[in-house]
Amino acid sequence: MEKEELKQKIIEVIEKKIKIAGKSKVYLKDLQKDIPGVSPRDIKNAANELVREGKLEYFSTGSTVMFGIPGVGMGLEAGTEKPKEE
Amino acid sequence: MEEKVVMPDPIYSEPYDPTLAEKLYNPAKPMENRITDIGPPHYSQFLPPIIQKNYGKWKSHLILQAGVMKYTSETGDVVYVVRCGTPRLETTDYIREICEIADKYCDGYVRWTTRNNVEFHVTSEEKLKALMEDLKNRKHPNGSYKFPIGGTGAGVSNIVHTQGWIHCHTPATDASGVVKAVLDELFEYFGSQKLPAKTRLALACCLNMCGAVHCSDIAILGIHRKPPLIEDDRLEYVCEIPLVIASCPLGAIRPATVEVGGQKRKTVRINLERCMFCGNCYTMCPALPLSDGEGDGIAILVGGKISNRISPPKFSKLVIPYIPNEPPRWPTTVQWVKKILETYAKYAKKYERLGDWAERIGWERFFELCEIPFTDKCIDDYRLAYDTYRTSMHFKFTSHIEIK
Amino acid sequence: MSEIKKHDTPLVDQLKTGPWPSFVDDIYIYAEKYKKQTCFDIMGQLELSYKNKETHWKHGGIVGVFGYGGGVIGRYSDQQEQFPAVWAFHTVRVHQPGGKWYHTSYLKKLCDLWDHRGSGIVNFHGSTGDIILLGTVTEQLEYIFFDLTHQLKQDLGGSGSNLRTPSSCMGKSRCQWSCIDTMAIEYELSMEFQDEIHRPSFPYKFKIKVSGCPIDCVAAIARADLSIIGTWVDDIRIDQEAVRAYVGGELKPGGNSHSDRDWGPFDIKKEVIELCPTQCMYWDENEKKLYINNKECNRCMHCMAVMPEALWPGTDTGATILMGSKAPILEGAQLSSVIVPFMRMEPPYDELKEVTRKAWDFWMEVGKNRERLGELIQRIGLNRFITEVLGLPAVPQHIREPRSNPYVFWKEEEVPGGWTRDAAEFRKRHPA
Ligand code: HEM
Ligand code: SF4
Ligand code: SF4
Ligand code: SF4
Ligand code: SF4
Repeated sequence: MEKEELKQKIIEVIEKKIKIAGKSKVYLKDLQKDIPGVSPRDIKNAANELVREGKLEYFSTGSTVMFGIPGVGMGLEAGTEKPKEE
Repeated sequence: MEEKVVMPDPIYSEPYDPTLAEKLYNPAKPMENRITDIGPPHYSQFLPPIIQKNYGKWKSHLILQAGVMKYTSETGDVVYVVRCGTPRLETTDYIREICEIADKYCDGYVRWTTRNNVEFHVTSEEKLKALMEDLKNRKHPNGSYKFPIGGTGAGVSNIVHTQGWIHCHTPATDASGVVKAVLDELFEYFGSQKLPAKTRLALACCLNMCGAVHCSDIAILGIHRKPPLIEDDRLEYVCEIPLVIASCPLGAIRPATVEVGGQKRKTVRINLERCMFCGNCYTMCPALPLSDGEGDGIAILVGGKISNRISPPKFSKLVIPYIPNEPPRWPTTVQWVKKILETYAKYAKKYERLGDWAERIGWERFFELCEIPFTDKCIDDYRLAYDTYRTSMHFKFTSHIEIK
Repeated sequence: MSEIKKHDTPLVDQLKTGPWPSFVDDIYIYAEKYKKQTCFDIMGQLELSYKNKETHWKHGGIVGVFGYGGGVIGRYSDQQEQFPAVWAFHTVRVHQPGGKWYHTSYLKKLCDLWDHRGSGIVNFHGSTGDIILLGTVTEQLEYIFFDLTHQLKQDLGGSGSNLRTPSSCMGKSRCQWSCIDTMAIEYELSMEFQDEIHRPSFPYKFKIKVSGCPIDCVAAIARADLSIIGTWVDDIRIDQEAVRAYVGGELKPGGNSHSDRDWGPFDIKKEVIELCPTQCMYWDENEKKLYINNKECNRCMHCMAVMPEALWPGTDTGATILMGSKAPILEGAQLSSVIVPFMRMEPPYDELKEVTRKAWDFWMEVGKNRERLGELIQRIGLNRFITEVLGLPAVPQHIREPRSNPYVFWKEEEVPGGWTRDAAEFRKRHPA
């Protein structure tokens, strides 16, 4: 798979997860599962490049790092704002 | 290494420019002027000239007194090292004071050890004397030493530890405060060499064990004992439920929908029997707080080691499952640590590490001598627990067995 | 400057006394001197924790600066009203120089930076090895990074599912036992794997530590997924003259490590010969000569530690490569297991890099989320990891003892005739 195609695919996978599973942050392993046949190293490199381009952002609350689309789901400062009241 | 001495990069002698970054960093174009992937500064420029000259040529060491070492090179060169304990949690002014000392006696060179000690190097006995005198006289306003000398040989070295209440969201105890309390009490063992062997203490404030305490002679470990509190009314707004479920190492969390004030809320439920109070879920979800003033506290593990000397490295074993948190000085924890250390000091043979001693006399005897009440909590019931069960006739009749 | 708000901290204040250096005195003096609200507030929040025995920190999702997925840990107070100056109190991990050697010109500049852009509170060092700058706000992160890289030629360390900052013992810089150039190896690996340090690459964290000898001062065997420990294959070097000096009492055993207690005169039989775990040493009383059956020595270092002026590791040196140690979370604590019993350690360390990459590739492919390498090795079996994944031969050095169960997973090609059999043929020989 070409790099640009792979990057496109990564964005698609994450967008789909947001729609279907309501999951806005994914691990590298999740990407691997949904993009079979591509080496984990290539996926990692493509995802990290997407971050450099500002199309993805990193997210972590502790010992692991996830990828998300900026502005979607739990923000980088989630839980630090006041929770929404109804 | 060649004869030519590598000097520190001159950039470090240029004053810090507090306005430079604002000129260089452009939020609209974050890649502009960005330097990345340069790694740490190369170590060679920070090695004192005598170290550069004798790199790989050291021949022997001699401890002149606790905390003071003399290294001799095959070139005949000699370097004296003074090792001092530090609190690890400190201010830039404390670092500056270290710099002032290093500038005065050590041509500006200084190093830290893996156990949070700082080491000053000098090349003459006169300088050594002056340096030691100077270090001894530096005290904080309330009397604590700034740079206690010690941490070598058959003594207690500085305590490797973690962040605690000063910085982390999952601690079951504090770190720096407990360490201060313990080392105040064990101070004489830091500055002397009268134990049977080196005794390494470590503290981690939760099971994540950032200080990797699991192979220490005496380990102080923060533990929770209550499962997370579930804030049903808030959880779905601040947490991503799939991530929370995936975070539990024991698969104890499942999704749930409950009614809160007549409204359906998505939340989670926890299988309380499976929870081991590790706090991983809380890391993913702020609506699952875990810490609890009454539930949390400290466990003591002993007998681990890392060095391959005489016996292979081994894990520390849980001997006291719980001690309540008693800030600011944790007297019960401190007393147990001291009791274990001094019992070991009394009975172990020269060169015998704490774990080797306990194995030689048998753990049943260890509990007896240290007067630690043995409870079922010390019998493993996690994975591979069987490895620790006694499957032989080799045991001793200690006070634990009532002979009728 | 706005009004400084101080808090009463009677509990925390009790840690000002006692002989061990008091971080409380230190922080308060600093706070007063620079009128730093952050420092007063952190002490105030600590007091609150001492009062109710609970932490008051929340976490945040920030992990790094732009393009970095590591090096910064986001942190927020849950007491924003009381302690507004520590509302955000992020940590920056700074990749420590090798062996933790410094020149004050570097340190002072770093201090100036941190006074200006952070709380002024630091850890020297984190347990992984980094310099830890404790306490800054989100808006300062990029500027801190620009200051570090432009003015200190200094990069961040690792966090998250990245390669964590490698670390090493001081090795040849001051230790006569170092069999390998630990600081050079650590630097070379750090530079080779910059991408892995700064950007998430793995299912979980990965730590590398380098110790120069089996004393293992950086705890490589207990705290690193990849443990590189120096060793030797030839004979222990002996200076018989010096051995005699120890026996005669002119030299102090252990480099004087037991100075403050009277353990009686040095007894080479009791203190060395009998404690040698392999019983491979012999002291000839008549000849006054020490013999070592080096083939049987397991290089535990004890004899050298007792007689540092008389014995040294051999000169034909390299490293043992071990993998898989970790703290208990998740599957229980593990020590590293021997993977390559002996590897030469010459720059550029290609063999080491290759075996590391092979292990990574497999782990990235097959490892589960948050599964450490050591856990993966357990799951698939050390035998399979060594032979199939790394393509290395199995040797007895890989185990402490052979298995005690017979449940070998034979492969079809290892059994003559394979596994496909003809039932009719079978029944011809064994009527049902
Ligand atoms: C989110 C809150 C956490 C904080 C504030 C924290 C803090 C730290 C710090 C400051 C270090 C030293 C790092 C260095 O020197 O570069 C460290 C190391 C470490 N962390 Fe954490 N940590 C956290 C979460 C975790 C988690 C979730 C785990 C495990 C699941 C973990 C396991 C470790 C271990 C084992 C080390 C020590 C490694 C060694 O011995 O070298 N930490 N942590
Ligand atoms: S040991 Fe636990 S509580 Fe302590 S700093 Fe590490 S993650 Fe936080
Ligand atoms: S504390 Fe640990 S074991 Fe308990 S539910 Fe949370 S993640 Fe699972
Ligand atoms: S690990 Fe060995 S070589 Fe390194 S400093 Fe320790 S004793 Fe010396
Ligand atoms: S290194 Fe250990 S095993 Fe080898 S001779 Fe010395 S004491 Fe014996």
